[in-house]
Amino acid sequence: MYRPSRFRNLGASLLLAASFALASLCSGSAAAAPGEKIPRLNGKPDFSGIWQTTSAADYDLEPHAARKDAPPGPGIVEGNVIPYLPKALEQRKKNFENRNTADPRLKGWTLGVPRAIYYPEPFQIFQRARDLTIVHQFGHPVRTIHTNGTQHPKGDTREFWLGDSRGHFEGDTLVVDVVDFNDETWLDSAGNFHSDALHVVERWKFLDANTIEYKATLEDPKVFSKPWNISVILHRHREKNFQLIEDYRYTVDWESYYPPKP
Amino acid sequence: MKMHTNLAKLYWPGVAVSLLTLGPVLAFAQQAETAPATETAKQAQPDQYQAGARQGRGAANNGGGRMPREKTIPKIESGKWTGPRLPDGQPDVQGHWSNTISNHNNFTDPGGGLPYDNKGQPRAATSKREDRAVSRVTDPADGQIPFQPWAAAKVKEFQQNFHNPVKPQYIEPNARCAPGGIPKSFYWHGYEIRQYPGYVLFLFDNGTRIVHLDGKPHLPQNVKLWNADSRGHWEGNTLVVDVTNNASKSLFGRTGEFASENVHVAERIVFANDGSRFNVEATFTDPTVYTRPWTATIPVRRYTEKDKPDDWNFIVYWNDTGKTPVIERHEQICFENNIGFGNVAVTATK
Repeated sequence: MYRPSRFRNLGASLLLAASFALASLCSGSAAAAPGEKIPRLNGKPDFSGIWQTTSAADYDLEPHAARKDAPPGPGIVEGNVIPYLPKALEQRKKNFENRNTADPRLKGWTLGVPRAIYYPEPFQIFQRARDLTIVHQFGHPVRTIHTNGTQHPKGDTREFWLGDSRGHFEGDTLVVDVVDFNDETWLDSAGNFHSDALHVVERWKFLDANTIEYKATLEDPKVFSKPWNISVILHRHREKNFQLIEDYRYTVDWESYYPPKP
Repeated sequence: MKMHTNLAKLYWPGVAVSLLTLGPVLAFAQQAETAPATETAKQAQPDQYQAGARQGRGAANNGGGRMPREKTIPKIESGKWTGPRLPDGQPDVQGHWSNTISNHNNFTDPGGGLPYDNKGQPRAATSKREDRAVSRVTDPADGQIPFQPWAAAKVKEFQQNFHNPVKPQYIEPNARCAPGGIPKSFYWHGYEIRQYPGYVLFLFDNGTRIVHLDGKPHLPQNVKLWNADSRGHWEGNTLVVDVTNNASKSLFGRTGEFASENVHVAERIVFANDGSRFNVEATFTDPTVYTRPWTATIPVRRYTEKDKPDDWNFIVYWNDTGKTPVIERHEQICFENNIGFGNVAVTATK
């Protein structure tokens, strides 16, 4: 399937730039204070470590009261409401009604970006000068964020669960542009979703040595009427000997057939 | 059409298939170990193979030496490391690698194809054993895994039912997108090694091993994992890895050899000082399946920018958007290939 656009037209870029400017004006959250020690690699912030959010974001990105399958949460969407196009809003409602069977998470499939970041399982970042490698516990997929000056590959055919990620540092903030998604993933357990036209721009920033502020702008002209922003806090796992334990739960329905037994 | 990242490869044990003409039922001759022509796939996905930065799937059609096969395992001695090192002192063995003798079709007779035909009858050999690659089993000397009788019977049963998996346990788990596990990941498709202070990462075609060099203890023994739990340290040119917590659900190949969750694997991954090759020497101890410990040796060579991407041993893509062109590994994720490898291969329509 030929996918005609990665939203590189000027209008979309300007819109996104404007939304960033607004986001940084409004957020007002403090970066690591000047002089405060954060881990560094070759002078850049070193995000190596095992991270996880404590937020209820994955239950529902939007503010919600408690319900049978979710604790209450204040939401992580700036402005509280995801700006769906009318038809997409109908789909979201259907997804919500069917969430306990239709959520791709229930099949153990890779969660996508940004969901894999705020899903309540840990992920580990391994960092080199040329890239960051993220291994998520859930599904155990590998995502590479290239920081070697490359751009998204030319051509326009790939569809990835976790997209194609190109990052660069703006001061101490890692800015990552992510495109080339498939449309198999949801954004949370409440049926919020996207299409293969999703474009995510992430901003990773240390608040202190053990805390990351993670912001993302999501744009998808097939689903949303305008770009919108989310923000969560990620905490470093510091428990003694803490480590990822692979979670390939998509195998649980049939894994008992192996290996042969006497 | 929508194609899962990893789907194409699973479809070609022996023949190339056109992805655009896939019916719900795929039947293909299974035994051939020879490299399939990739023209069909190229025609099937013209947008993916256009001239340009993306060389990858099928890009090495024009004599690219797809699936080169060696017949012997060159010895690499354990000893000092004289090659380049990373800032933390580890030998720098990062990059792309793949096995040299065969894929996972046959564990003890690499290149020998499957031992039984689609009626469960022994296949006649098409070449002399001595003309094919040596067994991966380097101890005992007969090249066979010393299975206990019950386990040998299970292996034979799997092989005879491989083409017509009338029970779920006859489906090779890799055909369900299961991780390749240990040791098969080393001779499935090509893979990448990345290194960090405290870690060696093996990014396999399906599955990831995080080898801890950080001194943390093994996970509790009741936690069993597809890719097991790996604790390693460097001894000169050798990465010594202690492998426990193995669920052993990944079979060793289409010939169905296996271990149990009681297995302990001691790996010595010996790197040549010129950086061109390594051997995995893996000793399997499992008193519930084998009559004695045994050792597999898996020969591996490095792939570099000088090699052509071939969709099998070297699955990478050129990115020429930076200052200099670089090769990149793309995402490898596979979930819903709930099919058999044999003549009944069926995939769900989307």
